[in-house]
Amino acid sequence: MTKVEREITVAAPPEDVWRVLADDALRRDWLQAEVEPEEVEEGRRLEFSWDRDGVGESRVEFTVDAVAEGSRVRVVETALAPAGDWGTRLSALGSASALALA
Amino acid sequence: MNDTVGPVFAALADGTRRQVVQTLATGHRATATSLAAELPMSRQAVAKHLTALRRAELVRSSRRGRETVYELEPGALTEAASWIAAVGGEWDERLERLGRLVD
Repeated sequence: MTKVEREITVAAPPEDVWRVLADDALRRDWLQAEVEPEEVEEGRRLEFSWDRDGVGESRVEFTVDAVAEGSRVRVVETALAPAGDWGTRLSALGSASALALA
Repeated sequence: MNDTVGPVFAALADGTRRQVVQTLATGHRATATSLAAELPMSRQAVAKHLTALRRAELVRSSRRGRETVYELEPGALTEAASWIAAVGGEWDERLERLGRLVD
């Protein structure tokens, strides 16, 4: 199965990170997308599915853990449907980057 | 991550290089000069990115007279590898933003 895994360690307590993941408005601002959490383990794990133009349908899972430096955030995104052609996908990425800069 | 996907991902993690690839994906063949005319960057910057993309075997170059012509390497990106590169690049940006939000 096609999937992407990423991890980041941030110098903030897990509660602060969790707020961004779990609060609808904060999460929307961060992801620049409206998503519906489907599985939630309060304070630690959150899952949702989304379907983006050019990328296709996929499932995203976040895990937040306390570490000495603050928090470790892990994200796993798994493709659920075949992705579109790759020109379309890059166009989608282009608009995502433009939004991020706006 | 395997040996093929690693350099592809690294090359596409950069937003500017994705723009270069996107332009090549629609415009077939181009030179550093013609790309610089279409993108908001200097010819030198484009040339640097093209070198990185060529090392990742995402684009290939050929000589035409005094010019170097670039085009996308056909089949460089399998469906899975391109999905991984695109989605991975997005998460690198989002996680960096998350770090700034909670800092």
